[in-house]
This record gives sequence, C-alpha cells and structure tokens, in this order.
Amino acid sequence: MSDIQLKNLTKSYGTYTAVAGIDLKIGEGEFFSLLGPSGCGKSTTLRMIAGFIRPTSGEIFIGSDEVTALPPEKRDIGIVFQNYAIFPHMSVAENIAFGLKLRKRPKEEVRSKVKAALQQVGLAGYEDRYQRQLSGGEQQRVALARVLVTEPRILLLDEPLSALDKSLREEMKYWIKDLQKRLGITTVYVTHDQDEALTMSDRIGVMQKARVVQVGTPEEIYERPKTLFVTTFIGHSNVIDVTVVSKGPDMMVVLDGRKLPTRGPENLEAGRAAKLVVRPENVLINPDARASVTLSAKVIGESYQGAIVRYRLGIGAQEIIAERQNSIGNERFSPGAEVMIGWDPGMTEVLAT
Amino acid sequence: MHEESNVPSVFKAIAFLSLAILLVPMAVVVLAGLNSGDYLTFPPQGLSLRWIKAFLTSPTFLSAYGVSFVVALGATLVSTLFGTMAAVFLSRSSSGSVPVLRGFFMLPIVLPGVVLGLALYVFFVSSGVGLARTMPGLLIGHILVTCPFVIATVTASLVGFDRSLEEAARSLGAGPVTAFRLVTLKIIAPAISAGSIFAFIVSFGQFELTLFLTAPDLQTLPSAMYTSMRYKFEPTAAAAGIFAIALVVISMVVTSRLVNLKKIFER
Repeated sequence: MSDIQLKNLTKSYGTYTAVAGIDLKIGEGEFFSLLGPSGCGKSTTLRMIAGFIRPTSGEIFIGSDEVTALPPEKRDIGIVFQNYAIFPHMSVAENIAFGLKLRKRPKEEVRSKVKAALQQVGLAGYEDRYQRQLSGGEQQRVALARVLVTEPRILLLDEPLSALDKSLREEMKYWIKDLQKRLGITTVYVTHDQDEALTMSDRIGVMQKARVVQVGTPEEIYERPKTLFVTTFIGHSNVIDVTVVSKGPDMMVVLDGRKLPTRGPENLEAGRAAKLVVRPENVLINPDARASVTLSAKVIGESYQGAIVRYRLGIGAQEIIAERQNSIGNERFSPGAEVMIGWDPGMTEVLAT
Repeated sequence: MHEESNVPSVFKAIAFLSLAILLVPMAVVVLAGLNSGDYLTFPPQGLSLRWIKAFLTSPTFLSAYGVSFVVALGATLVSTLFGTMAAVFLSRSSSGSVPVLRGFFMLPIVLPGVVLGLALYVFFVSSGVGLARTMPGLLIGHILVTCPFVIATVTASLVGFDRSLEEAARSLGAGPVTAFRLVTLKIIAPAISAGSIFAFIVSFGQFELTLFLTAPDLQTLPSAMYTSMRYKFEPTAAAAGIFAIALVVISMVVTSRLVNLKKIFER
C-alpha cells in the first residue's frame, strides 16, 4: 500500500493540452475519484499514473519512489479497464495466474492463490471458463481478481462500471467499495458519473478542461462547490442571478429587491453581479421557523416523480426548482398558487459568474 | 451453437454452381494425368498410372518439384516473418508514412507479374549483384509477391485488436516484448497461419515472375510444366499438376489442423 503524489503533472499533444499542471496527493488506503466530463483529461491522468502515457512535464510518486520514467511493468500497479481486457485465449485461471507466472512463483502457490482470488471475488469454480462465457459483471470480477492477486501497491480503475447495465452497476458500486475497504488499497477511480463518485469515494477531484478545479470529500464537493461548473456538474442546482451588497462570510446579496444573507468568497466586491447557488432539496415551500430567509414566489409547474415532487417556482422574473419529499402530510401545490419559499443561508453559496 | 442457416436456396444453388465451374478444370487436370494414351487429351482414353510413373521418374520434373517446394517454403518463412512485422508497424504507427508504405508493400501484387519479373531480371543483370538466374534471386522475387498476402491478412486481424489487452499484460508485469508474445501474437496467430498458407500457395503457383528468374537447371514446377507442354504434348505435365494440387491441399489441411490442435491444447 502506498500513497500517490502528482506534482505539476502535464501532458500536451502539440498545441493541445490534455492535462495542465495537476498537483494531487492521494493518501494511503484512500479511495480517490477523478470526476469530470469526457475530454477533461481524467483518463489521461490515470494512464500517466499507470505508465501508458509519458507526461510532458511533472512528476509522479508512488510511495516514496519516483516512477515518472518507469514503464508500466515496473510500477507495481493494478489497472482495470473499461472493457476489462480479459485475455480471450486464456481461461479464467490462466488470466488470474498471468501476473504470478511472470513473477516466477512456484506452481503450487499460483494454483492456491488463483483459487483464493476467485473465492474473494465470488467466482469460485470459474477456473476453466473463457471470456466469451462470462457476463460483463463476471468479467469485471475476473479483471479485479487478476489484478489483486499480484498484490499491487495501488489500484487504478478506468470507468469500470460504464459498460454494465443499471442494476448491476448499483450492485458493483457497493461491492467494489467494500472490497477496496477490506483490502485497504490506495485506489484511483476515473468516472464521469457523479453518483458513482459520491457514493464510493473518500475524496473526489473534479476535473474540467485539463485541470482539477476542486478536491474534497463528497460532502464538500456537493455542499460547498467552489465553481459554477462543479455545482452544475454534480447534482442539480438552482443558479440565481443576484447582486452583491457586502462581501465575506456574512455576505449579503440582493434578489428580487430583497436583501438576503448568504455565504461567499472574499473576492466578490459589493455591486458585482454574482450567482446564488441553492440545491432544489434545500428550497423549502411555506417553511417553518428553520428558514431565516423567506421570499414570496408563484408556483409555475408541478411534476410528480414518485418519491419527490418537483416544483417550478417564479421569483420575480427568475425561475427556480424546489424538490419536496412526497411523504404523508406534505401539502401539494397547484400551478398558480402563491407561496412563501425559504432556505437556510448556510446551505447556499455565492459564486462568481 | 450453430444456428440453422437461413441462406435462400437460390443463393446456395448459385454458390454451388460457381464452385463447380471453378473446380471442373481441376478435375480435368487430374483425369488427364491419369490418361493411358500417349497425348494430353480429354476425355482420357482409359485410366492408368503410366504418366504418374513418368513424372516420378523424370529428373526434370522431380527437381522442379523440389525447387518449387524449397522456394515456396523459404518464401513463406521469410514473408511470414517480415509480413507480420510490417503489419504490426502499419496498424500501430501513427506516422504519416503509413499510407505510403502500405501502398508500397502492396505494389508487387498490383503490378503485372511480367513487369515485376522483367524489372527484377534487368536489375539483377545490370547491377551485377550476381542474383540473375540463381536460387537467392528467385527467392527474393517470390518473397516480394508473397509478402503482401501476409501483410493483408495480419493487418486485418490487428485492425480490431484491443490494445488494452496488451496494456493489461504490461500492468501485470510483462515487458513490451513479453506482452506482445504472450498476448498479441497468440491472438493473431490464426491470421498469421492463414497468411502463410496464402504465401505458400501463391509462391508454389507463381509463374510469370518466375519465368524471368529461372534457368534451365533451376526450374520451378509451373515453368517445367509449361516447357514440357510447349515441346512435347505429354500428360506428364498433367500428372505433375496432380502432385501440385495434392501438395497445396495437404499443406492447407496440415496447417489448419496445426492451428486447430493448438486451440484444443489451449482449452
């Protein structure tokens, strides 16, 4: 087990920069996700850690060893690919034994380790199957077993769930997380799926246009987004036009002619136009005393989603979304109704446009 | 797991007919070689092994058969090696020279064999490299025309090849050469064998090019058959044809068996 450190890691192809100076420290035993839309450089970063892509500049450390110039086979890593890359000409047992045979381990040891690895991933008795006889989920388990049996220092996962159907994806999400926790192996997980990143990670690095724009725990990323990109990429957010009245932690903004308390960064000067960000589940309709901020609004539309009901609400000329649990005793509102809405200023954020 | 074929019977009939048209001349050669008459005629005037015996005792034909076999074997070995390497380069390099090189490597089968043969002959003679009408010169000519077949088949198998298989092998501890040998080479092996069968057949039947590169004491089977047909109209040539067909068929069967056997062992 080792930690991973990326120092000013950069990859450019001619004039195109795929990864622009990433600095990251991933702790020992941590489950770290690189989350971002396609083309943001997350896969390139992972492939540089794996050794398949040579960085243009910068350094990579695994534990205390600098591995920047080492080929993949010398890095002692395990990687699972999006398509699992099970060797089609080998049986499951031969696939898993591949790394051990290269390390010239005695036959008896190889056999018992293969058996143990299959047991570990819940595929006991699958030794003699071939890739074409395995389902997507089984292939993924074999790929993980093949990697883990060599006891790598770090585990790299490149969108491993994207090829699975939805229900299996849910199941594998928890399964992989459990396995990772049990083994305590440092893991870098690349995904474009916010749900995966939020449920599985200890920390998330959100990437946009070749850069890491925010690093934090799932809670920090979801509740304290630092940029508009982060807040809109992860979950739904209401992004409301406001004007800054006073800056700092006790920031005040003007919305629809009303002065509201909120929180914001130091660099937003009074008088500037900014965006107030509030999650739909934090917008309360006809709130009780909890909400210290209240505004009058008009219901524009109602959409029933089962567990929740989603309302489109008009505040002046702006429209926001509110989500309400559809539980017993919760009043429903029809379009046209005049309501009061409110929120806790601690659940809002003001961001620069 | 074979599904019931749903090819319309009209297509089946057409396919059968085309196959028959292609195979009838072969039957003619075989029957002509088993002729008991003095001349090459069809239908044969009776069946006998007379001309088979003549072939087996003819020093010209036997040595030509040997030369053809050796040349085909040599050309197959060399072009399988070079062709596979070229195919790997062509399918993996991102260099701008790839399309040009691909065209260049395919040139020998696009050019008429006569042109290629003449060009080689003139080059061998005028440059004084001492290859004109020699075994190495003949071999070089055959490698030129057999290589494209290996390149084409192996490239086809590499086009859809998933590079992450090789990367997986690398990450598990294999160096680049080991990863290629244990993974890529194993997976494209059927295409390589298919390419080498093509190469062998093409070399064994090669005629126009050979015409410029052979000498009276260095005849291949096709050129010996041609010479024999020109000067005496004997069925020995047809008998030689039987042996040529037999060798090609046997080599195909043996190779495909070897490939299948390997698969069986791997299971």
